[in-house]
Amino acid sequence: MARPKLCHRWTIGSGVLIGVVHLSGETRRLGRPLPNGHTMTATLHHTPPAPPSPPTRSTSRRDLTAVRPLAAKARRRRAAVDLLGIAVWASAAMAVTLWLTSGSVDVSGPGQVLISAGIVTGLVGTDLILVMLVLAARLPVIDRLVGHDAAMAHHGKLGKPALYLLLTHAGLLIGGYAVEAGDSVVAETVGLWNTPDVLLAFFGLGGLVAVVWTSIVAVRRVLPYEGWHAIHLLSYAAVAVAIPHQLSQGQMLAQGSWERAYWIALYVVALGSVAVFRFALPAFRSLRHGVVVTGVERIADDVVSVHLHGRDLDRLGAVGGQFFVWRFWAPGLWWHAHPISLSAAPTATGMRLTVRALGRGSASLASLRPGTRVSFAGPYGIFTEAVRTSTRVAVAASGIGVTPVRAFLERLDAPPGAVTILLRARSERETFLWHEIVAWAHARGHQVAVSVGPRGRGPASWLAEGDTSRGVTAASVFPDLAHSDLYVCGPGRWSDLVEQDAAAAGLPADQLHRERFDW
Amino acid sequence: MRARIVIGGLLVSAGILAVGVESTVTQLSATTSLVQPLAGAAPSSGGTGTEGTSGTAGAAPSSSPSSSDTSGSSPAATTGLTDGTYTGTAVSTRYGTVQVQVTISGGTFGDVTALHLTDDDGRSVQISARAAPVLAQEAVAAQSASIDTVSGATYTSDGYLQSLQSALDQAR
Repeated sequence: MARPKLCHRWTIGSGVLIGVVHLSGETRRLGRPLPNGHTMTATLHHTPPAPPSPPTRSTSRRDLTAVRPLAAKARRRRAAVDLLGIAVWASAAMAVTLWLTSGSVDVSGPGQVLISAGIVTGLVGTDLILVMLVLAARLPVIDRLVGHDAAMAHHGKLGKPALYLLLTHAGLLIGGYAVEAGDSVVAETVGLWNTPDVLLAFFGLGGLVAVVWTSIVAVRRVLPYEGWHAIHLLSYAAVAVAIPHQLSQGQMLAQGSWERAYWIALYVVALGSVAVFRFALPAFRSLRHGVVVTGVERIADDVVSVHLHGRDLDRLGAVGGQFFVWRFWAPGLWWHAHPISLSAAPTATGMRLTVRALGRGSASLASLRPGTRVSFAGPYGIFTEAVRTSTRVAVAASGIGVTPVRAFLERLDAPPGAVTILLRARSERETFLWHEIVAWAHARGHQVAVSVGPRGRGPASWLAEGDTSRGVTAASVFPDLAHSDLYVCGPGRWSDLVEQDAAAAGLPADQLHRERFDW
Repeated sequence: MRARIVIGGLLVSAGILAVGVESTVTQLSATTSLVQPLAGAAPSSGGTGTEGTSGTAGAAPSSSPSSSDTSGSSPAATTGLTDGTYTGTAVSTRYGTVQVQVTISGGTFGDVTALHLTDDDGRSVQISARAAPVLAQEAVAAQSASIDTVSGATYTSDGYLQSLQSALDQAR
């Protein structure tokens, strides 16, 4: 994916303002001067730079911090997120309790202790696998609360612990049976191998090993996405083939017991939510809304905007800042799913995407023909007002990361002057959609600053060299950052740098909202 | 935010586990109190017979019970069982056939003989060898086939108790 931008010169506020002036013929300036009062080079438009002006605040600080409803909403959301996290803990404890209440607790000898430990690791490991399935199922409630990318990050983090627990489960049980029977581990393994349900479970475990191994960063990097994804789909089969041995051999899941009912219910919820929200609902929506490509517009060498048309798109409830996973039914493209943000707020009949040729598939999007059918899954993501906690909004976007920002801003409800936008590009050729953002900000009295050029040094190295050398940081770009929400969208490492600088400027972690492109 | 999840998660988990432990302790004490009287109740007849372990596959005797040798008036008032030797039906489970035999004397039975136990694989043999004595003891103590199954040997237990029930039904 995209590398952090290595860039050169920074122009703040006024550089962009010129564009605004140019666009509207108005002279109001929104930008703030550089700390040293430097005049900067205009990068966006061909007008000479205007002299820096003192900051204009059309909204008083008091108005901007009077944010009761937003803060209350944010608290409720955080509480719900915490409840979800606690539910995961509870489900793991519940797995152990299944064993405790089933009456199969027997720790009378070394063999039985091994067997008991094997049972518990199996139960907890399987519980984690099911949690992973739920996290990957794109459940609307999880997407709204933590966002798709955070859900997938947690999904990824659980992978190894779950696998290790299940490997331990197999090892401990084989060892425990061998101790109990007084024969060798090999004999026990062969014996279990000859038990049909357990044989299936062995295959399932092998499948999980393959899935987790191919997801290790080093391995994943060399695999093509489709290959990795195909192996990943194997995990559904791996999970399914492990069920028979649990029900037939599981001592704590005896027929007719509530433990068995609970366990089956877990599976129904996990596999059911995958089936419904990953497969059925997207298929249904794709058919229902009949989305087709209406045109492809080249806006830079390697960047195109794709315009889409469909029926009743407002019924999707999508908002700017969200993304869909798209599939374009054109030769050579249909087998590749693209997660792409909207680059404009959707209307009842139209949507727009803006794509840079980052992956192999994205390059061929430029060749899309009007009329191409499009299927999709989504909308996903909480790079939206859903996570906003304060009236004041700060936005940092780099490169093609500007697209969700552009869409998010379009319907943003903020008093004049409450929004500060920083646009970052490596060179002037990467200023995609900037004029649209500038026009939007100008019309509403918000500030736009730009930073163009190779990457600078120091704590604010997410900015261009020319700016960091003058001591510009997040604290000087964004007013009152500690009482703002900061929305960041750009390459992963660049976003990390923004995050660090913003934290140093006093931004609480809960008020930082990132959109990732590289998951 | 994370800390709240971890602390809340630990507390809730501890609560759930406490319920589980409580239930285990209750079950274990119930089992011991049930097993204790056995020491006196089943003195003779070989006690914990492991004779059925290897599974006498071909040795299943006449499926018709030898119930004809009713030796007079049994204390039917207490158990309703007629004296004699009764062979239960052979119950097939997914791990093999289970069949038991019971001898009623004086209206009660002092032991249950396993004629055939689950033996499809080494693991099954092992499980049934462990379960059979426990089931025999508990059945003798309860003088009935309505007892708890042995954990970890659900199939063996179900087959065992079903076969025992059919034998006892014949004795009525």
